[in-house]
Amino acid sequence: MTENLALIIEDDEDLSDIFTNALHAAGYKVEAILDGKVAEERLTQVVPKIILLDMHLPHVNGATLLKQIHANDKLKNSRIIIATADSVQAEFYRGMASIVLVKPISFAQLRDLTSRFLNA
Amino acid sequence: MAVLLIIQIPISLFNLNNIDPQDNLFIGLASIFMLLSMTGIYWLNRTREGSLSSYIFLGVVMLVVSFSDTPQQIANGRSLFVFMIPIVMASLILQATSTFLFATLGSIIIYIFAISINESPNVTAMLSYFLVALISWMSSSGLQSALKDLRTINTNLDKIVIERTNELADALTRERIESGRNQAILNSIADGVIVFDKQHVATLANPALSQLTEIPLQTLHGISLDNFVQLRNIPQTSQQSIKRLIQKSEHSEITPRVEWGDKVLSASVADVHDSQTHETIGSVAVFRDITQEAQVEKMKDNFVAVVSHELRTPLNAIMGHAEILKEEVHGPLNEKQLSVTQRVMVNVSRLLSMVGDLLNEAQIRAGKLTVRPEAIKTASLLENLRVAMDKAVTDKGLEFITTIGDEMPEELIGDSQRLQQIMINLTSNALKFTEMGSITVSLNRVGKEHWKIEVKDTGVGIPENELPFVFDAFRQANNLEFTTRQYGGIGLGLSIVKQLVELMNGEIQVTSGVGKGSTFTVVLPLLKEMKGA
Repeated sequence: MTENLALIIEDDEDLSDIFTNALHAAGYKVEAILDGKVAEERLTQVVPKIILLDMHLPHVNGATLLKQIHANDKLKNSRIIIATADSVQAEFYRGMASIVLVKPISFAQLRDLTSRFLNA
Repeated sequence: MAVLLIIQIPISLFNLNNIDPQDNLFIGLASIFMLLSMTGIYWLNRTREGSLSSYIFLGVVMLVVSFSDTPQQIANGRSLFVFMIPIVMASLILQATSTFLFATLGSIIIYIFAISINESPNVTAMLSYFLVALISWMSSSGLQSALKDLRTINTNLDKIVIERTNELADALTRERIESGRNQAILNSIADGVIVFDKQHVATLANPALSQLTEIPLQTLHGISLDNFVQLRNIPQTSQQSIKRLIQKSEHSEITPRVEWGDKVLSASVADVHDSQTHETIGSVAVFRDITQEAQVEKMKDNFVAVVSHELRTPLNAIMGHAEILKEEVHGPLNEKQLSVTQRVMVNVSRLLSMVGDLLNEAQIRAGKLTVRPEAIKTASLLENLRVAMDKAVTDKGLEFITTIGDEMPEELIGDSQRLQQIMINLTSNALKFTEMGSITVSLNRVGKEHWKIEVKDTGVGIPENELPFVFDAFRQANNLEFTTRQYGGIGLGLSIVKQLVELMNGEIQVTSGVGKGSTFTVVLPLLKEMKGA
């Protein structure tokens, strides 16, 4: 596992920036990806401790990435945090991730949640 | 009469050849007289109604009989009884009583003949005339009364036939008007109507259905259900839902949508019962074009999705950036900067909660929001509520009291997120309308199968006339004193609470009075599984 790496897959630059700050504040080494296709490729190269996945992405959507993550045995210990704006969709994904966060996602909330995983 | 005339001619001819010349002449003259009389009577009978011709006929017969033999034979001999003929005939072709007239006439004639040949009249014969007349009269009057009865029956029968004919004609006319009217109604309504019999063969269809389905009206008449759904290549699911609906044919509140070409139709079905026997004789299906409504609904769904993503994302960004400033990630802030940052956060959070409320409301209305029951610790409900609300309540200088009743189970089955939402919304509402005093949230058991959440405040209270509307969307107790502007929010919090409670098969009640505070009570079932799971 890449040491304390958090992979943020979020196409909105502002949110990506906020998530980066939050995870950074929690003590992670952060890598942010804005595009689904790029993320797909990157996930074959690294084993992040946390994958923060937005469901609404360009080129390759979150649902496809989620399937690939579950299919990839190397990523079985990675914590998946799903970020979505749709509460109905959120309920649908509850069983497929460690945490499902419905936007708006607070900086402090994300920082506090992820810091708990750091030593787990 | 004509028959008698025809019989008379050969008799006369036959007589002329076989009797001695003197008699022959007499019989010949009598026959001619008879022939002429008969012709006259025949003519009279044709031109005039009534019994005059019959009287004259019988008179002529009497006369011919009187002179058909010698006076001795007439008065005492074999010809005496020939008089019986007109007497009996009178009872038949005239009135029954006229038989006595001819009996009297016969008696007078034989009396005159007897006197003319100086003999005493044959009283026995005269009496026998009256006896025959009496018998004729009796049988004739019996016959007449029978005829009269028959005629009465006949007349009544005629009357009944006429009445029935008229009734039938009326009914037919009414039926024609009625069916014409029904047809006109069917032809002019915009909904497509089709009636299937018990064998699922169409017996009736209106032009609107033909237009909706793009099947010619002639084809629709007599079409089988199978052909009806297969003719236009509509999706399999739509075919099945139409067939299921009509074959089941129970009237249901659910009107399924079916795709029909580029149209969306709603379909509803009801049984058709015979008006007399109440037996089911088929089913009527009504199709309505809801293409536009379906489009609007789709647009609404899209709108909700767009708002959900596009509006929340930038708000989330503002909030996040403000938080980053406040958490001093990019270095320390001075007091003024911190205060501005906090005000940005408060306002963005208000905006976010409004957008959230709007989305929740839209999702509930679209039936998209469901509850997911799970095992939850009772105490955690209040702990989480305190985490979310403690600061806001104490900031306003109010006391925040939370209690759990002794009889509450330690664990509950429920949707923790939705229960949390209910409790937070009710507490926020209490907080909004309370300036001093306390807010008390308590969980208690109600009977064996229910539990309740009670949120009590010491706020301004709700006027009695506004109580029925507190759960309506976009509405707050709305007079000069209780304006939306004064208390903020868009009035969706309580509406969402009510809808969530109903989604959980629960009930919500409110008791309040102006200046006495309000108490909201949510009663929920203590069940293993919940609706919508």
